[in-house]
Amino acid sequence: MKQTRWQQATYRHPYLFALLLLVIAFTANALLQPNLLEPTTLNSNMRVFLPLILVTIGQAIVMIGGGIDISVGSIVSVVNALLATQIGLSGDLSTAGVMMGVALFVGMGAGALNGLLIAYVRLQPIITTFATSFIYAGLALFILPNPGGGAPSRLTAFYRETIILWLPLAFYIIALLLFIWAIMRRTRYGRYLYAVGGKAEAAYETGAPVRAVQFSTYVISGLMAALGGIAMTLLTGSGNAQVGDPLTLSSITAAVIGGTPLSGGAGGITGPIIGAVILGLIRNIISFAGVATWWQTFVNAAIIVLALAMPGIIRLVRRRRG
Amino acid sequence: MAPLLAVRNVAKRYGAVQALIDASLEVSPGETLALIGANGSGKSTLSKVINGVVAPDGGQLLFAGRAVRFGSPHAAKDAGISTVFQELSLIPQMTVAENIWLTREPLRRNILIDHRTERRRTEELLSLFAGTFRADLTPDTPVSALLPDERQIVEILKAISVNPRLLILDEATASLDSRQVQRLFDLIGQWKTQGTAIIFISHRMVEIEQIADRYSVLRNGQTVGEGAMKDATAGDLVALMAPEASGGAIERRRLSPDDLATRRVILQIDDLRTGILRGVSMRVHEGELLGIGGLKGQGQRDLLLAIFGGIPYNGRIMLDGKPVHFTHPRQAMKHGVALVPGDRTGEGLLSIRSILENLLVPSWRDYGFPLRMKRAHQNASVIAARLDLKMAGLDAPVSALSGGNAQKVVIGKWLLRNPSILLLDDPTKGVDIATKAEFYRLLTRLCDEGTTVILYSSDDEELISLSDRLLVMHDGRISSELAGASLTTANLVAASLGVARRETP
Repeated sequence: MKQTRWQQATYRHPYLFALLLLVIAFTANALLQPNLLEPTTLNSNMRVFLPLILVTIGQAIVMIGGGIDISVGSIVSVVNALLATQIGLSGDLSTAGVMMGVALFVGMGAGALNGLLIAYVRLQPIITTFATSFIYAGLALFILPNPGGGAPSRLTAFYRETIILWLPLAFYIIALLLFIWAIMRRTRYGRYLYAVGGKAEAAYETGAPVRAVQFSTYVISGLMAALGGIAMTLLTGSGNAQVGDPLTLSSITAAVIGGTPLSGGAGGITGPIIGAVILGLIRNIISFAGVATWWQTFVNAAIIVLALAMPGIIRLVRRRRG
Repeated sequence: MAPLLAVRNVAKRYGAVQALIDASLEVSPGETLALIGANGSGKSTLSKVINGVVAPDGGQLLFAGRAVRFGSPHAAKDAGISTVFQELSLIPQMTVAENIWLTREPLRRNILIDHRTERRRTEELLSLFAGTFRADLTPDTPVSALLPDERQIVEILKAISVNPRLLILDEATASLDSRQVQRLFDLIGQWKTQGTAIIFISHRMVEIEQIADRYSVLRNGQTVGEGAMKDATAGDLVALMAPEASGGAIERRRLSPDDLATRRVILQIDDLRTGILRGVSMRVHEGELLGIGGLKGQGQRDLLLAIFGGIPYNGRIMLDGKPVHFTHPRQAMKHGVALVPGDRTGEGLLSIRSILENLLVPSWRDYGFPLRMKRAHQNASVIAARLDLKMAGLDAPVSALSGGNAQKVVIGKWLLRNPSILLLDDPTKGVDIATKAEFYRLLTRLCDEGTTVILYSSDDEELISLSDRLLVMHDGRISSELAGASLTTANLVAASLGVARRETP
């Protein structure tokens, strides 16, 4: 199979396509919102994008490992419900700290359950996490039946308004995560992740710890969803047991746009982060352009269907020609 | 010198099939042993016992003088046994370097992968085969961008990168060109001087004669001979491999070559090429039973699939005197060509659906709307009776049938369409002897009725007793045609290994 230059380039930098889309979406957005690059506007955008970015990173890692996590949205909801009820609008900072720690453990626990069922009981990832998503969604509603609760304004203000050297807080968080990812990729774990997602049998034959790696991806995804839930709570300053629902599909879409295919074994997290930003910008454009919001759902879904169908379409075209 | 590995009286059974009965071999450091045998003789099972992929039922493995039992391929690898697998163990999305060093990456500070060292070591390995692959193959090339021969080379390098004490090459030369094979043989020579023991499995007798020091021959799961290569001729080895006729199969009255010559040519193929086939030409006569033989994976399956329109191909196919080029099995079916796949449960049957439904799957469109169930039932009953199908009723699920009866349903569903050419892909694999006999009678009757049958089988005896004519495939080509007096097991085995082609150029 001869590869084109574009294929080679996208192999080395799977986020090239996403970067191109980002430029387009950014330009369109900047035309509608000329002050887009001013620190405060940048901040007000990035703080909204951050929860999805965090969730998408976890999703992308699961997808590189050959799986998928449909339960991330519900984990965000659980964490949001937990924090909104346990900290409350008048809560003190030490309670908040403790509860955030608890939230991270809850997220990892939920991920561990997914991982256990998928890696060790060997259930289908898509069905398993779809099923567990209802468990977590139910749990969120049990904790917080009606929207309410919240987080103290000192905390939400820190999240919403911190700007260091013209750059919003979200940038520093993303930079830190990219740094951790860069190190992870250079460890054996990073290699195993791609090997397991690429061809699990071959990885097993070679002696890679296939199941442990699969398990770990869901724990990481749960952890990232919990971080996303914390960010979401600080962003909204309130509790709603369904707040995470739209994040599931969006995180998968963002990962796919970012060059992390559903077939596993390829991609990275840089692309998915860009993908999440693109989705946020598209939402901005839609709201500025005054189009109905269902367009947003439509665009998300269309991207996924297209991404799924593309390999098949390419094969069909090749066969016709051959 | 004491042997590095001694295998003594190993037995292995898979369900009803006794793959190995009594297999033994010895290989010493610095020695190349050729493990040879016909189809189904048990050579892959034996190599899998040695490298820990399957656990033997009985017998003993001595490695470096100690009794061993490998629970996994990994355990065998840790002991110093490395295998170049036929089914590739590479991860397509990862680069050459990443694949070769997977799980053994050189580390800095015990945590970070040392890319520079990894790259350098990969380049050293690649230089072993320098000049035999494309220049743009670097340690950073993804495996998915490689050609089959280059992947095979990477696979070999991966196996050798652990510095094994015993290297098993299982058909490792199958996808290599002659220059690459020559380079591999040079390298084997070097590894031998370093004390590596090598077990070489190949379907090419020429290569075996060139590289092996000793041989060990398997026949029906038993070791039937071993010795030094220099004391044996290709003819001797073939005689050892060819199984004695067991007399179980029925003898079909063969159509004589003269008789065949008077018959109409129904299928004519010229220079057929696919990824595996390298120019196949043949004529098939009406009512003939043409056997396709040879060791597994020599292109037999591709040949049948190409005729059936299941895979793209280049070349000319004439059906009944008219040129055709099927790009979809449906077109082939319309022209009266039917293919009975080898993997019954996977490709041939909907196991939870009824026998009736399975029989009618290819024919429903002839039954109108709404479906004329009464007529369907009648036609299915006729076929079931013709096949002597033993069943509780047409409405019973296929999964309730025995293996042999399930096989009849696969054939029966095509018979309902009255095919003029029936392609069979190893139809009696895993079928018991009684059902086989019944199946042979069915084939004989079909041919007498004028149906043309092209039968690929991995059972050599079956091919010899059934075929009017037998084409033996080797490396994607037809290496020889056996008919009349030349249609013997010994000739088939010899041709399978590419011996005949050398003797009669």
